[in-house]
Amino acid sequence: MDRREFIKACSVVALMQVLWGCRRLPDLSGGKVPEIAEFEKEVRLALSRAKGAFDLVQVPMPGPLDVHGASPVNRFGMAIDLDACDGCGKCILACMQENNIPLSSKGERDAGRFMHWIEMHGGTPAMCFHCGNAPCEKVCPTGAASHTPDGLSTMMYKRCTGSRFCGANCPVGARKFNYVDSVKEGLARKFNPEVPLRSKGVMEKCSLCLQRLQDHKHAQMATRPGVEWRGSGLKTACSEACPKNAIIFGNWLDQESPLVQEAKHRNLYVPREIANLDPSVVYMRGRR
Amino acid sequence: MKYLMAGLLALLCGFFLADFLFRQQASEVKTPGNIPFDHALHGDSIGLDCSHCHTGVTYQAHAYLPSKTDCMDCHRLPLTENPGIEKLDSALSRAEEFPWVHKRVLPEHVVFHHGLHFAAGVQCSDCHGSTEKIQKNRYGGERFTMQSCLDCHSGKTFEGRGFKKAAIHCGACHR
Repeated sequence: MDRREFIKACSVVALMQVLWGCRRLPDLSGGKVPEIAEFEKEVRLALSRAKGAFDLVQVPMPGPLDVHGASPVNRFGMAIDLDACDGCGKCILACMQENNIPLSSKGERDAGRFMHWIEMHGGTPAMCFHCGNAPCEKVCPTGAASHTPDGLSTMMYKRCTGSRFCGANCPVGARKFNYVDSVKEGLARKFNPEVPLRSKGVMEKCSLCLQRLQDHKHAQMATRPGVEWRGSGLKTACSEACPKNAIIFGNWLDQESPLVQEAKHRNLYVPREIANLDPSVVYMRGRR
Repeated sequence: MKYLMAGLLALLCGFFLADFLFRQQASEVKTPGNIPFDHALHGDSIGLDCSHCHTGVTYQAHAYLPSKTDCMDCHRLPLTENPGIEKLDSALSRAEEFPWVHKRVLPEHVVFHHGLHFAAGVQCSDCHGSTEKIQKNRYGGERFTMQSCLDCHSGKTFEGRGFKKAAIHCGACHR
């Protein structure tokens, strides 16, 4: 083979590789969608492998957010009543169904790692605490982790490039990374058409049911445009599902909110690691 | 050097060929039923408001498409002397109950509420164009991008209209 033929052959091979690389890939999912019973089973497994309890410290009631452009009238959050919660795990299942959270693969499950946005820490549920001064958002290189003016630490999945810096910088480990394509692996089920499924390589976490807040806000702005939106009457999926009414959602800046009404008579606690980060989700215990 | 250039040219041609053969096909715009519908005829010439047929547009997230029953509310009677009306009547009588099927063009991680924009004073034609344009492109001919949303939300697009500045943080429209 002379030089000319060699280069010709190389060009042909390169061309074939380009064409091969550009072909449209077939859908390999096979259409497998897990049964609801599998989600229930995984929640039971997660409950049996609960993580260690947090070291709680007392904090004052969350006030207005200390960030640029924050809303002076809305700051959404939750309070989890540790006196009422019995750790049944119904909130975890409700959250999975509301937010289309995928199952974990067998290896991950055996290692005790789940995609659940709510996890049990010493028998009490813990999700993202939506810190006002969130350390995860500071390290996001693409701005996918950002704060809304009304106090939600949100994830823009399409912006996420999967650096996982946020997960590494979260003191309570509330962020979950999609290591696998859960749709192709047959691990995801679209319970709620309003919430997009996350693709491989994307970080996710509790969104404080952002979709419910958006829908509620838009509906009110369309039908009663003059009225200021305070999110009254709204509940997250976990607080709706709790049989003991231990998870209370509301607006910290609205005195009428059930959250403020309940929390003002209680002692509020947060994990020691995030006590100085101004979290919007707190635990409550005792009466005063 | 000559061979290298030839190789690169071949590679470039390969890219173009691959793009031509395997590029993502433009999504198909479904031609609605067999019913010859003219937006301009209903809107501009007889003055029907968009919300007459797209009933959700003033207060709901989706504008919705009319059912056959909605068409028949008016078309029960022969409305004009136009010879085309017979053709229309027969097409209507053969049509299924929901002749138009909406195909979602908005990605599912984006929220858009029609009623909210209506309440803020945005006209249908501000985004969808005039009835002639709608007719020509059918629906879905518009090219909405995030930039077009942002331009309007930050007060650039309709400067003279006195709209309030709208939210431009990610969580306002994305989920």
